Amino acid sequence: MNALMSALPPGMHVFERGWLSSNNILFCSAQENVIIDTGYLNHAPQTLNLVQQTLQGAPLHRILNTHLHSDHCGGNALLQQHYGSHTSVPIFEREKVEKWDTTQLSYQATGQRCEQFSLHGTISPGDTFLLGEREWQALSAPGHDPHSLIFYCAEEQILISADALWERGFGVIFPELDGKSGFAEARATLELIASLAVRLVIPGHGAIFSDCASALQYAFSRVAYLEAEPMRNAHNAMKVMLKFLLLDRQRIVLDELPTLLESIPLFVNANERFMQRSTTALAHWVTQQLVQSGVARVENGVLLNRDFH
Amino acid sequence: MKHIRAFPLSEHQGSLPSPCINICRMDQANHQCLGCLRTIDEIIAWSRADENYKREVWQQLKRRAEPVT
Repeated sequence: MNALMSALPPGMHVFERGWLSSNNILFCSAQENVIIDTGYLNHAPQTLNLVQQTLQGAPLHRILNTHLHSDHCGGNALLQQHYGSHTSVPIFEREKVEKWDTTQLSYQATGQRCEQFSLHGTISPGDTFLLGEREWQALSAPGHDPHSLIFYCAEEQILISADALWERGFGVIFPELDGKSGFAEARATLELIASLAVRLVIPGHGAIFSDCASALQYAFSRVAYLEAEPMRNAHNAMKVMLKFLLLDRQRIVLDELPTLLESIPLFVNANERFMQRSTTALAHWVTQQLVQSGVARVENGVLLNRDFH
Repeated sequence: MKHIRAFPLSEHQGSLPSPCINICRMDQANHQCLGCLRTIDEIIAWSRADENYKREVWQQLKRRAEPVT
């Protein structure tokens, strides 16, 4: 009934959760067990449970990250503590991780949390890996993040697309918030994906899907829509970032929201560049946006998380 | 656990969404997630599961969400 049922090759597991933790892809084989992306920090104990239950006492040899946003590598530290896993990140992130420079890593800029982990190797675009007894290649996928990688298996025609392509859209184009180029890179990444034969996409968030062409069509039109008026990307970023904070904390006292936003450079910079509102006005606007979208509610002066379904 | 009771399972068309609500912590007493009430095995199985399995899990979750009297 469901074609996806047998679509994942043996030894390949996808742990799909919500939006606070990215999907985790665990490859098991006789040679090596490898996980790509490890979810958010406060979900890490459950991530460890998922890995332990799947591996049944076998070691987790390696951790690979598509990019270093907190929802993709927040479980690295705990998995390392438990398994001592060899950990590799995209090559251009090496220095930031070695120094654990939270101003250069995105955690301080976004107000998100990530526990420091050890680095053992790097991944360059074009590198190949044997994962679950099949060859996978890392491909450069800038746009959402300038150094993000995606992973492709030509033999199985499966793409691990991180936040470069979801079933409906893609992650916030962060470089544009700082006045850097991101839309052109995002479009080039979509063009790269369009050149691949793909029967199955494992996105960074959301369910696995098979209709890559429709996802690409929507994503191309969305890049054009954002590029036509970059303010749209900034508005979307503000909403997404506040929703992320709310998912992390579950409740935010509205009187404290302006101070919270002021402490988060991405809000401050994007506000200065695109919106030029007082912090109080910004806090009010973004709160209204979440409430109107149905993903938050206000009760007695407290902003509360509301689920999508 | 209001979200689970509120989910219109009987009227839902198309493929069923993941029950995850981003809490993702296990209740050590009953070995269910404190957010979505799934077991570790049910979370692992989700991405390989067909719609019948997902419907069955959703029905279970609605039962698990009922207060014990």
